[in-house]
Amino acid sequence: MRKSVWVIDDDEIYQMIIKKLIQKSGVFEDRYFFKGAKQVISELEKSEFLVPDVILLDINMPLMDGWQFIEKLRTVVSEIPERTKIYIVSSSIAYSDKERAEKFPEVTGFLSKPLTVNILKEIGESVK
Amino acid sequence: MTEKLNPAINKKPLLVALLAALFFLALGLFMLWQRYQILQETRDDEMKGIIDLVEQNIDQSLKYSYSAALSLALQIDENGVINNFDEVASQLVDGNPSIDGIQTVPGGVIKQVYPYEENKAVINYNILEDSTRNEEAYRAIDNRKMFFAGPIELKQGGLAVIGRLPVFIKNEFWGFSAVLIKFENLIDQSGIEDLSSNKFKFQFSKRDPLSGKEEFFLSTTNDFTKSYSGEIVFPDGDWKIYIIPTEPYEPLYAVIPVAFLILIMSGALGWIIFNTMKQPAILAAKVKQQAGDLAKSELQFRTIFNQAAIGMARVNSLSGKILETNNRFQELLGYTNEELIQKDHVAISYPEDRDENIALMGRLRNNEIREYNLKKRLVRKDGEIIWIKLNVSALWSHGEKASSHIALVEDISARVKAQREREENERRFRSLVENSSEVILIIDTQGYAKYSSPSLERITGYKELYVAENEIFSLIHPDDASNLIGKFKESRENPGVPFSGIKLRLQTKCVNYIWVDVTITNLTREKSIGGYVVNFRDITAKQEAEINLFKSYDFVMEQNKRLLNFAYIVSHNLRSHSSNLESILELYKTEECEEEKQTYISLLENVSKNLNESLHDLNEVVSINNNLDINVETIKVAEYLDKTLEVLQLQIKKKKAQVNIDVPEEMQVTFNASYMESVLLNFLTNALRYSHRDRNPVITVTGYIDNQRWVLKIADNGIGIDLNKHGDKVFGLYKTFTERKDSRGVGLFITKNQINAMGGNVFVDSEPGIGTTFKVIFK
Repeated sequence: MRKSVWVIDDDEIYQMIIKKLIQKSGVFEDRYFFKGAKQVISELEKSEFLVPDVILLDINMPLMDGWQFIEKLRTVVSEIPERTKIYIVSSSIAYSDKERAEKFPEVTGFLSKPLTVNILKEIGESVK
Repeated sequence: MTEKLNPAINKKPLLVALLAALFFLALGLFMLWQRYQILQETRDDEMKGIIDLVEQNIDQSLKYSYSAALSLALQIDENGVINNFDEVASQLVDGNPSIDGIQTVPGGVIKQVYPYEENKAVINYNILEDSTRNEEAYRAIDNRKMFFAGPIELKQGGLAVIGRLPVFIKNEFWGFSAVLIKFENLIDQSGIEDLSSNKFKFQFSKRDPLSGKEEFFLSTTNDFTKSYSGEIVFPDGDWKIYIIPTEPYEPLYAVIPVAFLILIMSGALGWIIFNTMKQPAILAAKVKQQAGDLAKSELQFRTIFNQAAIGMARVNSLSGKILETNNRFQELLGYTNEELIQKDHVAISYPEDRDENIALMGRLRNNEIREYNLKKRLVRKDGEIIWIKLNVSALWSHGEKASSHIALVEDISARVKAQREREENERRFRSLVENSSEVILIIDTQGYAKYSSPSLERITGYKELYVAENEIFSLIHPDDASNLIGKFKESRENPGVPFSGIKLRLQTKCVNYIWVDVTITNLTREKSIGGYVVNFRDITAKQEAEINLFKSYDFVMEQNKRLLNFAYIVSHNLRSHSSNLESILELYKTEECEEEKQTYISLLENVSKNLNESLHDLNEVVSINNNLDINVETIKVAEYLDKTLEVLQLQIKKKKAQVNIDVPEEMQVTFNASYMESVLLNFLTNALRYSHRDRNPVITVTGYIDNQRWVLKIADNGIGIDLNKHGDKVFGLYKTFTERKDSRGVGLFITKNQINAMGGNVFVDSEPGIGTTFKVIFK
């Protein structure tokens, strides 16, 4: 079974890094990279676009931040699939952000940057 | 008199008075007795005189009768015949008023009578044979003397005395020559009726020749026992005449009033003597008692003088020398009596108080006043000064020459000191109240201010508060009135309990409001207060400070929030770079392909560049927030605007933008010059950068005054910002609202910080697709 992942982050350098890391970990067959949350929403609105198994979501983004994205996702998609795991991935180590993340039932975990191949492997293995 | 007299002294005058009264009474009665005797004698003498006169008169009558009878007898001849009887008889009877008739009785038989008519009935009546009458006839014969018989009831009628003269011829009894005297006539002749007047009564009696009994002929009285009677005895007729006083007790009656008088007088005399004699005894007793009293009062005075709780001194009024002092006086001044005596009173007087006392003593000496009171100071032996109350009274009688006076001295030092302290306290308290910044009001139950401290005017400008219950609230800020009313109600129900901490705004006379902190205490039950004590003080400065404190607090909190935000951003940004670096280096280490390695190195360069940029931004932000002493000057906004437009000239041309400037020349604000450049550049750059792709940019800059502050408005027709989504983040650090790569979210953050640092404010108004307007309000 192919495993899919979305990476939503406006940091270009991070984008390049995460691509390499996912590639190295080899857990996700289907990989999608977005530079803004708004971009994802418009893609979802345009066509049948399957919500992936894992979403790695940044918080601080222009136009629409991570939180806004989750709320928007609820309205755009009729139902967020049970299997979908949303991870907040942020360079922030602020407790307030972790706290806020817990308030979203859709969020599986809070991950501080930098991510490593091992972490990605663990996430991939948790997907069934 | 209340005092009891000695009985011995009391008894004696009574006895003497009784004896004197009795003596006087006896003497009086004795004299009265004498007088009575004299009166009796006088009457007896008078009666005797009358009797003598009557006797003489009767004797005269009888003598006339005898001579008449003798004359008739001489007419009888030897033969016993009377020739010319009628002639002789008439001569004898008619010429003699004391004789009523005459008769010849030869041999005892009445033969001839004159006057015949009256007496003819008795002719031939033989008197010697009539046993009722012959006794006296025989007696005459026996004695050969004339004897008067009767008074008898005549045969011819009437009561009469008959004098019979026996006639003897040749020694032979012949008969009688008889004379007839009517009894009435006899009495008449005796003069009894004239003499007796009213004082005396008479009685005429004769011893009955047969029975020997006394026979009375006058119808006056037969009671001689209690009478004083004079008695005349006629040998020729056996008659008796009594004289009886009509009022036998008259002399007694005459002396009775006198006797009473004497009785009264002796009684009076006794009384007078008693009182006279008693007086000295009373006086003596009085004197003794007064002497006792005097001794007692002298003792009392001595005791009082010596033991009195107030100082006393007797002073010579003329010389001013002290004559004697009591214990207390010595105690007060610390001198002994010996030291004080002969000291001048001036010597112990406090110098400043001397003159008044000397002046008053002079008036006392001149009898202008009898006493005086004075508060003055004295100097004790040890030099201590004491306050005293002095009372001076003259000891000589009014009007007499001055001798000495008594001075009463009461130590009032403690009292004077206490009063001084009290006055001092009151003054201090009053000055505390009056100078206090605390206003004190006493408001009665009607809502009127009974008292207001002077601070009222200082603080509120009102001299007095003539405020009824509702009026007082008109001065209170409407938002605070209900709180005050509530507190008043609570206070009314809780007398004595202070309600404090009532903060409210009060309108002063200058119409502005001041903040006051009020305390209300219900002391309506306190008699000396009788109202609500309301004190308040101006806490405007404090309140403003508090408000400022709150503002500062808000400001600090805001600052803190910004700092937190800043710290968050810093950490986030730097961490994002560092995590990238970490990841790249990790990838680099594990990469074997040389080409890939080269890619990582260029990535590292990018990260380094970004990191540098971030640090530069942060440095700029920090410098704005740190630079508190930044240099400010008066800046002409129009001038700086021109400069900025010059810098942007190229971009404006490229964008074909239209820039309208409406900033007056006089618009000057206090600002840092480089900040001003930065602010203007930022706004205009933004306006050009975020222009709408469908139209040429139009930028309008306007300067005007609003609410006394300069305002600069920068409006564009660009893409706008969705304020509903991003309103709170417009001025946030690293907040971007577009996907443009050159938006870093730093410009507006710095601009806002610069404006705030200069005491200004910035607001945004925007609509997506239409345009954005920024408004800068300068300090």
